[in-house]
Amino acid sequence: MRKKSRHVAVVGCGQTKHSSRRRDVTLPEMVSQAVFAALEDAKIDPGEVDAFMVGNMQGFGGVAQPEQWIGDWIGASDKPVIRIATGGTTGGSVGQAAYYAAASGLYDVVVGTAWEKHSDSAEPGATTGLMHVGLANVFYALTKGFSLKNVMTASVAGAAAGVAVYQARFYMNRSGCKIEHLDAVAAKCRRNAAKNPYAHLQWPGCTPEDIAATELIAYPFRYGHVCPASDGASAIVVASEDFVRRRCEKPVWIKGLASYTDEENNLQAENWSGVGVLDPSEQMGCRVSAMKAYEMAGIKNPREEIDVAEIYQPFPSQELIFAERCGLFDPGTAWRAVESGDIEIEGKMPLDPSGGVNATNAIGSSALQRILEAALQVRGDAGEHQVPKKVKNAIATGWGGNTNYITFTVLGDEPGPRRW
Amino acid sequence: MGYIKDERPTTMMVGGSWNIGAYKYKANGLLDEYLEGLKEKKLIGSMCMGCGKVIVPPRLVCGRCHREMTERVVVSDKGTVTTFVVSPPIEKGKVKAMGMDAVELGLFTEGEVIMPAYVQFDGADCNLNLLILDADPKDVCVGMRVEAVWAENPVGALSDIEGVRPIPMECGGLDENQKKG
Ligand SMILES: [Zn+2]
Repeated sequence: MRKKSRHVAVVGCGQTKHSSRRRDVTLPEMVSQAVFAALEDAKIDPGEVDAFMVGNMQGFGGVAQPEQWIGDWIGASDKPVIRIATGGTTGGSVGQAAYYAAASGLYDVVVGTAWEKHSDSAEPGATTGLMHVGLANVFYALTKGFSLKNVMTASVAGAAAGVAVYQARFYMNRSGCKIEHLDAVAAKCRRNAAKNPYAHLQWPGCTPEDIAATELIAYPFRYGHVCPASDGASAIVVASEDFVRRRCEKPVWIKGLASYTDEENNLQAENWSGVGVLDPSEQMGCRVSAMKAYEMAGIKNPREEIDVAEIYQPFPSQELIFAERCGLFDPGTAWRAVESGDIEIEGKMPLDPSGGVNATNAIGSSALQRILEAALQVRGDAGEHQVPKKVKNAIATGWGGNTNYITFTVLGDEPGPRRW
Repeated sequence: MGYIKDERPTTMMVGGSWNIGAYKYKANGLLDEYLEGLKEKKLIGSMCMGCGKVIVPPRLVCGRCHREMTERVVVSDKGTVTTFVVSPPIEKGKVKAMGMDAVELGLFTEGEVIMPAYVQFDGADCNLNLLILDADPKDVCVGMRVEAVWAENPVGALSDIEGVRPIPMECGGLDENQKKG
């Protein structure tokens, strides 16, 4: 018979200040800042850590095996270090791997840390990183008559925004969401970020009009809508239930988690073949992940039971799209909550009180930051961006892979209904 | 906090290079069937016998039911715009790829507005990413009927389809497809 897993809690959170160029630190110095901040927060001695789950966006920064470089710096000598890379979702996968490592009974205390150091490359989203994402496919297409004009067209539509601009159009067309709502979401993210000392794009008092005044990239995206490329790292410490009972004062329980993928949500699959996802805002991977994780967490009515959400949203449209797929709003209606103010820090369903990925995007770290920020909200320790209500349950998402891979985590002030 | 070496307050950059042209990747050649079709101005897709989906260009395995997509079908070169984006007027220095400038190369003209779109051709269960040509952005909408603009002499290359253009409405305003259904 299958043995039951153990309950696991997040017991420590640490992150660095995020900015476009962390020239004051090397990669391992930066990661060690986050890891030791998390250990200090957990009041756990580095010697007590059993294992490390680490990761960043594969190949970004041009370092192929960063885990080998950072090992000594984060106190991992003689300890298991597992490097994880799932694209933009990496941090979510790192956090979930830390959970599994402790829930399985193998380790009691596990550190999950994730980072990005974009500024080590002259090009954000460095060529070495993109190679892992789709360069082979593009090379292939170039040998099959994909013209330079095709390449330039792609760069017009997606300079920074890639598939997200089409995704936004699909969502807006079927929901009635307008560009003004995207302006409002982006402004909210920058205002929230101003209350988060670790965030990158901080803009106190930013208004939708401020965002609307920024240059249009390709309708409906403006420069003011787009996330920055940030340098930074984050870390969580998770521990098994016995250790938590013995040692930890403010555990935040990981009650449910899931990670599902759909078909590629950009247009071309392996060997330049087509993709059967007609609407890239459908994000079925998120819907399935949410349903599975809620079931595990015993959440029956997310709209009533989830108090705050940290959504992975490099673009403001994605905050709305994913909030719906997480079951927090009816399909096609989240933009109304922008008008009513429900998604503000003081609102009924606060979304990304930290400012989210839209304000801070150290890619590998971004999905782990969502888990970390959700944990701080449950603890009541988010400081100036703490939502002003009792937080029993919070959710954290990640979006990455080939724009189709989702991580979904439910955190709460009590363990889930049962062991799995 | 952490291990930070105070004696070096800033990092230094050391250069390096990486020849990505040295890499070779294996492809399955499925795309060649599609390119053969383009030569005859035909859009070839693969059909899943599990769910009936038709995917263009052909796909080896259905992304939803994971069955091998063994059947080949030809879909219409008329279709519907499922989404589109409108660029701001293109300026020199703004659109670059692989170190080259689109305006300098004459691929786009200064001030030109382009409309990359997702187009679902009739009979296909997927989108193709193509430029909308010969249209005023004001007149373009989701659901608009379009037809492929073929190269004069297709050679079996992806660029044999130059884009799509609106299907001109004749008196009565119905195109073939609307008449059918
Ligand atoms: Zn199928």
